[in-house]
Amino acid sequence: MYNSYLSKSKGYKICMILLSVLSVGLLIGSYVWVSGRNAVLLPSVGQIWARCVKLFVNPIKGVNLLAHVWASLRRVLLALLFSWTAGVVFGILIGWSKTLNAIFGSIFELFRPIPPIAWIPIVIMWFGIGEFPKILIVIIGSIVPVVVNTRAGVSLVEQQYVDVGTVFGADNRQMLSNIIMPVALPSIFAGLRTSVSSGWTVVLAAEMLGADHGVGALVTRGWNASDMALVLVSIIVIAIIGALLSVGLSLAEKVVCPWNQ
Amino acid sequence: MESVNQKKKCMEVKGLSKTFFGKKEYVTVVDEVDFTVYEGEFLVILGPGRCGKTVLLNMIAGLETKTDGQILYNGKEVQGRNPDLAMVFQSLALLPFNTVMENTELPLKLRGISKKERRETAQRYIDLVGLTGFEKSYPSQLSGGMKQRAGIARAYTANPKILLMDEPFGQLDAQTRYAMQNEILKIWEKEKRTVIFVTNNIEEACYLGDRIILMSECPETVKQIYDLSDIPRPRDMVSDVFLTRRKMISDTMELSL
Repeated sequence: MYNSYLSKSKGYKICMILLSVLSVGLLIGSYVWVSGRNAVLLPSVGQIWARCVKLFVNPIKGVNLLAHVWASLRRVLLALLFSWTAGVVFGILIGWSKTLNAIFGSIFELFRPIPPIAWIPIVIMWFGIGEFPKILIVIIGSIVPVVVNTRAGVSLVEQQYVDVGTVFGADNRQMLSNIIMPVALPSIFAGLRTSVSSGWTVVLAAEMLGADHGVGALVTRGWNASDMALVLVSIIVIAIIGALLSVGLSLAEKVVCPWNQ
Repeated sequence: MESVNQKKKCMEVKGLSKTFFGKKEYVTVVDEVDFTVYEGEFLVILGPGRCGKTVLLNMIAGLETKTDGQILYNGKEVQGRNPDLAMVFQSLALLPFNTVMENTELPLKLRGISKKERRETAQRYIDLVGLTGFEKSYPSQLSGGMKQRAGIARAYTANPKILLMDEPFGQLDAQTRYAMQNEILKIWEKEKRTVIFVTNNIEEACYLGDRIILMSECPETVKQIYDLSDIPRPRDMVSDVFLTRRKMISDTMELSL
């Protein structure tokens, strides 16, 4: 920023917000302009809206759009609840202890590069197509970035901060809670943010392959019926929820790490 | 000089050595260092370059294991951390996620002292170093000199018998450095605690020290010990006695380079 004093002024901030609104507006505008020419491949905005309303009037598999969204969201949130807790704890352990990293880190490294979607057949064969296997696949997909970032954050804590703890007499527990954890927190948050998006990716894939309810099921249904309006409704809903989750997480980070701005 | 010899010994460093195993050979950075620290004195360890001064101080603080030698504190050998020591770090090492208050009270928090009590003590030292009004600021919002003040307040809050300072003013500009030197003397005279102060700056050493231990270049050994306790305080950096002593030390220092 060559004129950094401007970036602090209110007018500049408003300008930047207007620019983002404008660019999104242009994108929507150009879609409006080209759509409707081929109603099957590029349904018009009106058609998309009508399809969205129809999802409430004439529900698919007995539930309306919101219930489908909730089905996906619930799977993602349950999976994230587990992978955030387990991932952070596991990441701290292998970042903190070289021995544990040698034992468990190596196993983790072996599984890490496998795309989570590749587990879907095995998980379905083992656990069927109920709720649990879907959540399990989302856990597999979302735990990796949490562990990777937590481990990196913990193992890269600068020696000078550890020295402060040593000189002033911190025991292991105090070192972890007063020094290591807070230093690693921004890095842990980066992992949590990545895990939300990878969780969504995986839940969609899992639902597309076999689910009655969920946004992924809607996408598959639209695909099978050549109903592009339905597919686009699902995509828009995913985009909105993804953005909301990301904003929520950024706010949480600002509250938890007020120094990191 | 007599007065120093009559003072009570509080720490003795005997034959302290540190050898690192480098890529191909052993590198000795501290070699058989002996010196005594007397209670209440301002002891300066003056050494050229960036050789082993920090390693020496870290061994005393228990942050670095020693290869050989002994550290006696009140006549007893110390292994590892000595709870009666506190340190002001060269790299400042203020915790970025804690405010000035939280940084300053950290030593007491680690000892499990109640919030009310540790806030009181921390506030006293925040006031003493002149950071009143900045208790809620984060380190990133402070200037270099203010960060250093916070580091000093934190070390004093630990209520140490001996305060170790590792080139605390190395990263400050000349103006702030002079101000901080006076500040640290004022606090030292008020608090009456032993200080071991490491620096590579002769003028700073002569301005602050009761005694100066001049170290040699790598591997670090004690080259000479100077007693400056006869120069009255506050010292005048351009007085004859100051300049004579300074020249004497710098001549020896240059020979050792």
